[in-house]
Amino acid sequence: MSELVSQVLATLAAILLGVAGIAGLFLGLDFLVGLLPQRLQPRVRPWAYIGPALLILGFYLVYPTLQTLYLSFFDAKSEQFVGLQNYLWTLTSPEMRIAFRNNLLWIVLMTTFSVGLGLVIAVLVDRVRYEPLAKSVIFLPMAISFVGASVIWRFVYAYKPANVPQIGLLNAVIVALGERPMGWLVDTAVNNFALIAVGIWLQTGFCMVILSAALKAIPREILEAARVDGASEWRIFWQITVPMIGSTVAVVATTVIINALKAFDIVFVMTNGTRGTEVIANRMYKEMFSFLNFGRASAIAVILLLAIVPVMAANIRRFQAQEEIR
Amino acid sequence: MSARRFFRSPWRTAGYILLVIVTLLWLVPFGQAILTSFRSYDDIMIRGFFSLPQTISLNSYREAWVRGGLSRYLPNSFIITLPSLILTLLFSSLSAYALARFRFPGNRALYFLYVGGTMLPFQVLMLPVFRLTNALGLYDTYWGLIAFHTAFQLGFCTFLLRNYMRTVPGEILEAARMDGCSEFRIWWQIMMPLTLPALAALATLEFTWIFNDYLWAIILLRSDSLKPVTAGLATLQGQYVMDWTVIVAGALLATIPTVIVFIFLQRYFIEGLTLGATK
Repeated sequence: MSELVSQVLATLAAILLGVAGIAGLFLGLDFLVGLLPQRLQPRVRPWAYIGPALLILGFYLVYPTLQTLYLSFFDAKSEQFVGLQNYLWTLTSPEMRIAFRNNLLWIVLMTTFSVGLGLVIAVLVDRVRYEPLAKSVIFLPMAISFVGASVIWRFVYAYKPANVPQIGLLNAVIVALGERPMGWLVDTAVNNFALIAVGIWLQTGFCMVILSAALKAIPREILEAARVDGASEWRIFWQITVPMIGSTVAVVATTVIINALKAFDIVFVMTNGTRGTEVIANRMYKEMFSFLNFGRASAIAVILLLAIVPVMAANIRRFQAQEEIR
Repeated sequence: MSARRFFRSPWRTAGYILLVIVTLLWLVPFGQAILTSFRSYDDIMIRGFFSLPQTISLNSYREAWVRGGLSRYLPNSFIITLPSLILTLLFSSLSAYALARFRFPGNRALYFLYVGGTMLPFQVLMLPVFRLTNALGLYDTYWGLIAFHTAFQLGFCTFLLRNYMRTVPGEILEAARMDGCSEFRIWWQIMMPLTLPALAALATLEFTWIFNDYLWAIILLRSDSLKPVTAGLATLQGQYVMDWTVIVAGALLATIPTVIVFIFLQRYFIEGLTLGATK
């Protein structure tokens, strides 16, 4: 216990010191800017405020990205220049083909179900007395870690041979219905879907919450006017609601697509990519930390980045348009 | 809605039923985990999942907490999360203030850099950040992980705060400036209090994200004594291969902090997500 107390005290001290240090840094920079001629101050001050953050970003985000790009053209030990060889391997090897296929599966299924289900629930919940409760339940998985979720789901999927009692929920249900138990995480016909289901369980809440906020932003008068004019709920949904929240649906779908492309934790913890469940991110981790092939790992990362760039660009363009309006 | 109107619309009835089904489905994994955690592994092994528990006890929790090391992992998570959170918010709010309120060449370009940065796949950073941390002598220390989390979350926080700060009426700041208030004080004494709702939203969101991080913890830390609870859980999985109830109890214990934050600050949590996605 005393160890814990000293740990807590040390942390508090570190936080205080850190905050004081940063406040001191900013105050110092501000003071230095104040010493400059009046004319120059407005031009220098923003950089004094942004500078430290930019340095951190450059150091931890920009430089590493460039280095990964650089390393992707070198061999496993980053010693010999190999040209596009790592990219060739990434795009043509059978291992990677499985990973690409699975990521595509993740993108299609997770996006369709998370966004679709999220939208349906957001619409339904909008008229129900138990709205906060239903929302909280569906949203709850977002609060827990991927590792926690994976542990919980591994139990749902647990598999024992047919002649022993089933300890997992899903197989217990199946056996109770008179069927043979299934190896949800080992049977190649279902294991990818089993993993994606966990992803959907985790992501639907996010979609629902954002879409629900967009729904609530639709002016009541418009809906009332349509109802007074005798439009059916079905028509109202398709001709008023959907067009009005269209851009939000796009944003949510983009986010889920990116998350599906980056999918890692669930696969890493639950199957580690065995039996045809490999995904790009997990393969990359393997190349890096198990096979120590830094060239290949970097090339995979760059391909992943390239896949996300169009989405990034679209988003930036959207924000650019927003800025013009202001 | 009256019962008569409710039943008049078959769509609505169908929708209502679907909602109940989905809600229950979403609860099932939690329910099964909680049920399991109170039983003993032998009990489930011999009798199967659908059986009345022979004994109900907190043994699995005790085991996970004491021998499984959660009593060490859980404080570690806080030691890593809280400084990262505070540092990110400090750095990002000051940059956001400059981006939102000053006109200077490069302002737009920087803003879009932040927008793009929020979407950067972490995979591109893995190897170089691992090497950087090593080179700095921060590998296998709390600070190595804290520094990285701070940097990685900066983009999103700055982006969100900048947009929020732009909605603050300029007159308030102008008035303060007229009175001879320094820029730094305007930021700290006027802008920060006005940004409190956004800061609260971000804090809940970032707390959950950093607390739940697993990947960076296993990349930047090696010592078992430093591991946060996510990495600890993975260790537990290896250690108690044969005693699943302990692992499940550990997983449930590990989710308590973020679930508490989530339950009490849900409004802020949702606000933060909505701000990020629609602004």
